[in-house]
Amino acid sequence: MNEPARRSIPLTLSINGDEAEVLAPAHWTLLEVLRYKLRLTGTKQGCDKGDCGACTVLMDGQPVLSCCTLAGLAEGRAITTIEGITGALPRAFDVCGALQCGFCQPGMVCSAKALLDENPQPTTPEIKAALSGNLCRCTGYTKIIEAVHLAARDLDGKGDRRTASIPMPALTSAPADGFLVLGGRGRKADALRKLSGAEPYTDDIALPRMAHGRILRSVHAHARIRSVDTSAAEALPGVYAVLVGAELPTPYCVIPWTPDETALAIDKVRYVGDGVAAVAAVDEETAIRAMDLIRVDYEVLPAVLTLDEAEGNKALVHEADWKGRPRKDNLCKEVELSFGDVDGGFANAAAEVNEAWFYEGNTHAPIEPHCAIGDWGRDGGLTVWSSTQVPHYLHRELAKVLGTPQSKIRVIQPALGGAFGGKSEPFDLEFCVAALAKKAGRPVKILYTREEVFYAHRGRHPMEMVMRVAGDADGRITAVDSRIRIDGGAYHSFGMITTYYAGQLLTGPVQMAAYRFKAARFYTNKPTCGPKRGHGSVQPRFAFECAIDELAHKLGLDPMELRRRNAMSSGERTVNGQLLPSTGLAACLDSVSAASGWAERWNKLPRGRGLGVACSMYISGTAYPIYPNQMPQSGVQLRGDRSGKITIFCGASDIGQGSDAMLTWIVSEETGVPPDDIVVVSHDTDLTPVDLGSYSSRVTYMCGLAAQEAGRALRQRMIEGLAAHWKVPAEQVGVGLGTWYDKGDPNRSLPVQQVLQIAEAHSGTLGTTGGYRTREVGGEYRGGSIGASPAYSTTAHVAEVVVDEETGVVRVEKVWVAHDCGRALNPTLVEGQVEGSVYMGFAEALMEAQLFDERGLHTGPNLLDYKIPTAMETPEIFTKIIETLDPGGPYGAKEAGEGPLHPIIPAIANAIFDAVGIRLRRIPFTPDRVRAALAEVHPC
Amino acid sequence: MLRMTPFELVSARSLDEAVDLHSAVPGALYVAGGTDLLPNIKQGLFSPPRVVNIAGALPAGIREESDQIVIGAGTRLSQLARSAALPALAAAAGLVAGPQIRNMGTIGGNILLDTRCLFYNQTAHWRASLGHCLKAEGSWCHVVGGPKTCVAAQSSDTVPVLLTLDARIRLRGSGGDRLLPLRELYAFNGMKHLKIEPGELLTEVVVPRPAAGTVGSYSKLRTRDAIDFPQLGLAVSLRQEDGAIAALDIVVGAINPQPKLVPGLHAFVGRALDTLVIEEIAELVFQRSRPQGSVAGDVAWRRQMARVYTRRALHQMGGLRDSEEAAA
Repeated sequence: MNEPARRSIPLTLSINGDEAEVLAPAHWTLLEVLRYKLRLTGTKQGCDKGDCGACTVLMDGQPVLSCCTLAGLAEGRAITTIEGITGALPRAFDVCGALQCGFCQPGMVCSAKALLDENPQPTTPEIKAALSGNLCRCTGYTKIIEAVHLAARDLDGKGDRRTASIPMPALTSAPADGFLVLGGRGRKADALRKLSGAEPYTDDIALPRMAHGRILRSVHAHARIRSVDTSAAEALPGVYAVLVGAELPTPYCVIPWTPDETALAIDKVRYVGDGVAAVAAVDEETAIRAMDLIRVDYEVLPAVLTLDEAEGNKALVHEADWKGRPRKDNLCKEVELSFGDVDGGFANAAAEVNEAWFYEGNTHAPIEPHCAIGDWGRDGGLTVWSSTQVPHYLHRELAKVLGTPQSKIRVIQPALGGAFGGKSEPFDLEFCVAALAKKAGRPVKILYTREEVFYAHRGRHPMEMVMRVAGDADGRITAVDSRIRIDGGAYHSFGMITTYYAGQLLTGPVQMAAYRFKAARFYTNKPTCGPKRGHGSVQPRFAFECAIDELAHKLGLDPMELRRRNAMSSGERTVNGQLLPSTGLAACLDSVSAASGWAERWNKLPRGRGLGVACSMYISGTAYPIYPNQMPQSGVQLRGDRSGKITIFCGASDIGQGSDAMLTWIVSEETGVPPDDIVVVSHDTDLTPVDLGSYSSRVTYMCGLAAQEAGRALRQRMIEGLAAHWKVPAEQVGVGLGTWYDKGDPNRSLPVQQVLQIAEAHSGTLGTTGGYRTREVGGEYRGGSIGASPAYSTTAHVAEVVVDEETGVVRVEKVWVAHDCGRALNPTLVEGQVEGSVYMGFAEALMEAQLFDERGLHTGPNLLDYKIPTAMETPEIFTKIIETLDPGGPYGAKEAGEGPLHPIIPAIANAIFDAVGIRLRRIPFTPDRVRAALAEVHPC
Repeated sequence: MLRMTPFELVSARSLDEAVDLHSAVPGALYVAGGTDLLPNIKQGLFSPPRVVNIAGALPAGIREESDQIVIGAGTRLSQLARSAALPALAAAAGLVAGPQIRNMGTIGGNILLDTRCLFYNQTAHWRASLGHCLKAEGSWCHVVGGPKTCVAAQSSDTVPVLLTLDARIRLRGSGGDRLLPLRELYAFNGMKHLKIEPGELLTEVVVPRPAAGTVGSYSKLRTRDAIDFPQLGLAVSLRQEDGAIAALDIVVGAINPQPKLVPGLHAFVGRALDTLVIEEIAELVFQRSRPQGSVAGDVAWRRQMARVYTRRALHQMGGLRDSEEAAA
């Protein structure tokens, strides 16, 4: 049947009290009309088809999914979008830190509003139920639930929900002793912009004449491309440009040594979803039709889908390397290192554990799908807007692949709707929008479908781990031997780093006398794995923390006590030579032990209920940049203005974790200029000094130090100016928040704006810089710098689970976390990172899995089949911040965004053992696996 | 993002107009809530030339009559979930998907849901990578591994309860109205599981008032406590008299295209609902339930869950009766 011509119909919609008349295609959803016709882009799109709740709006006061509502069916109904919601709820979300990336919050706030309108004083279970159709990937829901309670309390106090509002929260509040700002629970400057729908994310941007692109993807896991016929697509009216792989032949990779990927496949496709050709057309629907007209002639090849097939060289995923040298196997990277007397450690042990664990792959699934826009100006310069967390690396690779000087390329990262490592390298769409825009002579946007996000992947590597761990009678760990096979997928990504991390990051905060590991990453015909939150080290940490739990059992020791006996202290070096300038493991263990009632409850709870403990450490940035250079890893420039404002320029990527806010507070701390008067210009390669990006938990530490240095330089200029003005020694000038004062004269003070003016008059235009340079760290052996970090965070968890032995269902009811992040520059943001980590890790333990069938086909690349937990299943999380100040960190700060994910998986596994006596060594712990393990232990 | 192929949207002001607008264009489809239809169009499973909006034409609301309860097909699931008329049905409606979908989806749509399968409810690209399936553009069922039978699952939460209640559905076609027992609606064919004529419009659900003392329950197996379709749904309707089972009906949903009563339960009438009998009933339900792999979750585990859920439901319902009697 011929498709009916696209026909637009006039619609009259009532939106936020306004009548909107719009002409829109009859088959468009309310979401499409809101976003792309009315430019009400506060309502977000996350999953394509009704699975995530990001597009939630209110219709006659009831939350509905605008992506599954035909716009024509919305006529005559009162529609409320985030742009129309003011008052208590957005304020409460802001105060509570209930948004990180902010992408799910518009929908979340709509659902919460409907709840409070109907039930002004909801209970926590009622809140969870009301929000159960809104997925959030950042927060673990904890602070969202707090925010709804706070908004409800406010409504209660005022009695009239229509006028009630929480007072505008302060950007600063109750700083730590001796600080002006830091340590307080200040709000994020970007929060209210996001909560009003005003902050543009990449897909919210529309440029004049902009075309829409799509990428045609392989339907085979492994095939040779005989030919690509694009003639029918090019002939389709409305098509502006078609692109094939041969047009962009330069290979790239985020790691400059291993460029094994091209923007689009040229000779071979290597996984289902590998890009083959791209089109740009007048609109997305035309682009889709054009894409369907491209004919690709494939010669299907045997696909390598398992580690055994990869190691056995069933076929070669890559037949040659990037220099054209033939490859003889699928080995991507192999690392073998040994430290101390491993064999002796096993020989003299009182007990050992020697088992195999398997960590299933899973993915980041940020609610915002990847999106990029490319635009060439008349001057031959390229601008790319992209949902990336590494604008600088993207900048470099764009220049290389496009053959355009870096000076002619500008990369802008708009607000980012979640990343978690999933947007930390260049992706095909970024090259395609640039190349298509050049061919089409107009801006081009590509927005991934949710399916494409799953194919882009770069998520958690499946790892097969055989680990042998031994201890002496006192519970000291005498030796660890780890053998790991890593399923890497089709391309390298960060593969070399992953392979090192799988071994190098295991050696603390639990000390071991001797350690040996061998890790090998293999290519397979599946989407490429990469750095997901806790890159490379979450998997071996699962095996190790389960193994030492078993070891404690064999030695007759409390597993909490075994960890205490092996806890490293600040200033110690790991067996592989990493210096831990600060670590608070003992304090973390004490904290979770006391909070969970470990002494009274562990090993004593009724059958079916159990407690488990685990701990970990994680890097605060990597010692060295991805490409060797002597330039700073992070740079900050400050502009002090006579208006009283400071502008911070920094390349750091705020991906929701709050790096813009962190920069603001540090500069405020140093200068006394209130956070409200500080503006951040970030992640724009034309405007901001380079920061390498948001990965490896490096931003607070490295960028924080750069901001501190720049802030101190500006403060010094201000002090000198004011000291000269007052004719007092510099030491006599006091810095206060908003007001500077004379330490020698209690009656003399000046507003900080005047201090800036005096300083400018004194020494000229106010601009300062700061930078973070890597210090020498790491072991003195090949690879010793990988995994070396200037500082390490430490975490301990106790999880409480309930195991239903009949169904096999595991519920994680409570998680107590103690995280040592050094100085908590803002406790609310630290807690948010911890809660989000626990959420993401518990999901990996219980339900998430990136699985492929015998064709290499992802078994469910959508947010219905791939299970992201809702507020209903997410455990109650009790976070305690431990501040073991780091001597090198900014004000003593270390990372908080990735470390706290690691322990939750083994803590759950260990709790399941405490509950029902089974050791689960393969994630996820699905009910059928639990039942099967129970049946082995208790055969009927 | 996924975009729908173009179609004409027409709105019906009455049921007759709806049927006329539908019959005028071959391949036309009705839409009321759209929560089942729109994702399927987005995934390229349907490309209707015309979509007939029946949201304004369908009767909505719940009407209690002396011997029956009449539910307008346009009644939203969220409204049904709040209704006190039929507690088990309300519970089932409240367990459908998430809150937003319950505010959109109607009881009529939930009864007529397209069957679902892991190999079917995917994008056009994905299905092309698979090599298509029997239900859409292909010739092979990847679940059973054969060319003949499609076992895509009827995945409604409300239907198992309505079947235990012996509901009827009122259908409006070009020839007028007819009343069809719901128990005769479904066929064991995932490609065509509804025994109705093209264009026939479901307008009302008529539920006979259960005999006094009847209790019902619905329990749902799924990974998440929201959003997910059932991996198995279990509806039980039980009436006890003088300490013995007087009537018992059980339906296991989401295991195949044709939800139906578990046969053989009449044998338990007259027996006391004690632990031993509950185990026998659970064993029978287990024996009679053969979940297909069209739905997520290990098949053997899902089948075991039919036993576990039956046992738990009966214990709870039996217990409820006991306590009610004790209170009285």
